[in-house]
Amino acid sequence: MDKAAGSNVSDKHTDDTIVDIVFFKSDTCAFCPRAEEVLRETIQDFGPSAFNLSIVNVSQNPEAAEEYGVFALPTIMIGGISVTGIPEPEMLMKMILGCKIAKKRGSRQ
Amino acid sequence: MSDYEIDRVKTGIPGLDELIEGGFPRGDTILVAGKAGTGKTIMANQFLYYGAVKYNEPGVLVTLEEPPRAIKRNMLRFNMDLDSLVQQGMLAIVDLYPSKEVARVNIGEYPSFDLSGLEAIIMNHVNKIGAKRVVIDTLSILAYKFRSRDILREEFFKLTANITRHGATLLLTSEIPAQDSGLGVFDIEAFLASGVVVLYNEKISDTSRSRSIEVLKLRGSKHSSRIHSMRITDEGIRVWPGEISPSH
Ligand SMILES: Nc1ncnc2c1ncn2[C@@H]1O[C@H](COP(=O)(O)OP(=O)(O)OP(=O)(O)O)[C@@H](O)[C@H]1O
Ligand SMILES: [Mg+2]
Repeated sequence: MDKAAGSNVSDKHTDDTIVDIVFFKSDTCAFCPRAEEVLRETIQDFGPSAFNLSIVNVSQNPEAAEEYGVFALPTIMIGGISVTGIPEPEMLMKMILGCKIAKKRGSRQ
Repeated sequence: MSDYEIDRVKTGIPGLDELIEGGFPRGDTILVAGKAGTGKTIMANQFLYYGAVKYNEPGVLVTLEEPPRAIKRNMLRFNMDLDSLVQQGMLAIVDLYPSKEVARVNIGEYPSFDLSGLEAIIMNHVNKIGAKRVVIDTLSILAYKFRSRDILREEFFKLTANITRHGATLLLTSEIPAQDSGLGVFDIEAFLASGVVVLYNEKISDTSRSRSIEVLKLRGSKHSSRIHSMRITDEGIRVWPGEISPSH
């Protein structure tokens, strides 16, 4: 798995308000660069420590995609929820907020 | 063999080769269509099993509908031990059965995606074991999973072309919905494939059904145009080339 700027996949982050995002792309996928742009623009406002972004390039790491069961690209996974294709920023926001709320609830219990 | 002679891939289904001039044309895409329970999955796995055991051709099974465990268990009933093939490097099973997806919910799909991930996953295994046979069981699942038909059409075309480009023979299964008279949920599978085999399990009386098989098309081949009897025996699927199905 590639490391994205400002994130470290292998870190055991103790702060469980950090949202995990996985972005699946490939070398040949024509829609992937735009989807990555939308993703990065959307999460940028939250500050660098709000997310744990990992990028899976399926061309280089097909095993990871197989492991996740992801084969349509681009796919963005936030928490347990995924979206395929170039998403609207609003959709990503909803997914992020949903994930944050779920985490808060989980940590309060 | 001359350049113009078609190299035939033995199907591993007793009796079927005789209906199609000796086997499927090597490197072609063959569609096995049929309603639920007609034997598509058994046929597809038998094609891989005997391909490996009798003809020394490694295979890749891409399973989208049933978990590998269930398939292995079912095939063992026919004395086809898929696990031993996996251990010998003659079979790779690509498990894309939905429940293993890490993302439990896919909230949406924008009509801007491709199946390059699926291709990379499959080709990784094809290259690793030098697969000569590939099965995707079943294509229909993708039609339920994704709404964008135009994309799927185009992506299927690319996918099948890329899998077969280096000589692998591809067998796709497609489920014909119960009330449907066509060949599948896409209506395009048949067009994609250079060969179409249809499996039936028709009611012949109030109390019985009869299995049969029809080779609907096979490019470059003089194939039988009859509907032949087929049975699922303790050794798997068997076709009776001389027997015309009573239900047709
Ligand atoms: N050991 C066996 N002996 C005889 N018949 C069997 C045996 N095992 C399965 N069958 C028959 O085969 C059928 C299942 O075959 P298979 O799974 O290949 O069907 P399919 O066409 O793939 O169905 P689906 O569309 O539901 O995936 C069963 O419904 C049963 O009728
Ligand atoms: Mg099946």
